[in-house]
Amino acid sequence: MTLIWIHEDAITLDHPVVQAAGPTAKPVFVWDTDEHDRRGYSLKRRVFIYECALALEVPIYAGEALDVLSSLSGEGKIYAAATADPYINGVLSDLRRHHRVEVLDSPQLAYVPANTDTGRFFRFWNRARKSALTHSKENLI
Amino acid sequence: MVFMVNLLDRTRPTVAEPQALERMDVSDRRAIVARVRKLSPGLSDSDVFVSSLRGGRSEAQNRLAGLKPREYGSTRNHLDGAVSRLSPYIRHGVINAADVRDHALDVSDAKAAEKFIQQLTWRDYWQRLYKEFPQNIWQDVEPYKTGFASTDYSRDLPRDIMDGATGVACIDQFISELIETGYLHNHARLYLAGYICHWRRVQWQAGARWFLTHLLDGDPASNNLSWQWVASTFSHKPYYFNLENVSKFSGSNIDTSAENNVPLSGSYEALYARLFPNLDPRQ
Repeated sequence: MTLIWIHEDAITLDHPVVQAAGPTAKPVFVWDTDEHDRRGYSLKRRVFIYECALALEVPIYAGEALDVLSSLSGEGKIYAAATADPYINGVLSDLRRHHRVEVLDSPQLAYVPANTDTGRFFRFWNRARKSALTHSKENLI
Repeated sequence: MVFMVNLLDRTRPTVAEPQALERMDVSDRRAIVARVRKLSPGLSDSDVFVSSLRGGRSEAQNRLAGLKPREYGSTRNHLDGAVSRLSPYIRHGVINAADVRDHALDVSDAKAAEKFIQQLTWRDYWQRLYKEFPQNIWQDVEPYKTGFASTDYSRDLPRDIMDGATGVACIDQFISELIETGYLHNHARLYLAGYICHWRRVQWQAGARWFLTHLLDGDPASNNLSWQWVASTFSHKPYYFNLENVSKFSGSNIDTSAENNVPLSGSYEALYARLFPNLDPRQ
């Protein structure tokens, strides 16, 4: 089964991965209590995240993300939104050992040249400002 | 992982297909809290607060519809200013920052929306750094510029800070808000972080970890690198403030009386000399 892993950095169905995965793909959210414990999340954070996932009307599974996704996907491909989070990237990396995994970026807020100095924000802002202040419709032109 | 023993062939356990949790009504918060508690046996019984901010895309869109970029630009530093409170939704990708930017440009011209979009870009910047240098998230990017070494700072957050019982009235109010609502205005975050790092001389990591426990929008990149900006391990100088500044930007519901905020009272020069005695006097 083709899966879309709705992880906690992209609790949405309005994302390029959903289109890329196709209409038969199954979006799933995994409620990973151990990971929430490791992160030290309070009750209010957990409730907020649960509400975000619940509002999507996708199946929510409880367990370790790697186990649940491996088990559900079988031979299928797994799609996920790109993130900088090391834990999520670690799970995706482990999944790649036995599964086909495709990760897609979220729409960009700003475009900067690859060699942009990121040592301080305002150096970055000077390069990002023009594209950040441009509507996506115009950035696509 | 759950294994079921196959009684016919004990050498080959079969993996049970995970079962989805039972659906529930997203508007039934009492049931959601009960479900989350049941799924989280490690949570302390004393952890009882739930935010008035509700999760979900329709909630995010309602907030987006109320966005006033021009007013944001002129009032954003005030604790009762026209801030969007969209950050928890953006942090969890419920709504995308580029879509938020597009909406801001739909309801306002680029000049009026610039301050708001610049704040969105801070988040984009932190995320890029996180991706590029994930090891910096919990380590000092640079040495402190406070006249102290990192070893001069306490590794643990003092109990009175966790309890909101520091005796500094405005600080205790910010702590209560953080713990009870999971949200703090950015300026209040700066005050609280500055107090913890520089008045109490606590390592920024202890404060950052505590914020991540409570803030609905807490993500390691924005949170930790902002703490480093305050601490001066990712900026040219430490961020600090005085009571006059808190008073200027606070609404009437924050106690900024001098008698209840003694450690924060004083000129910037006097506080600088007190907080950073190893540095040359502030000019």
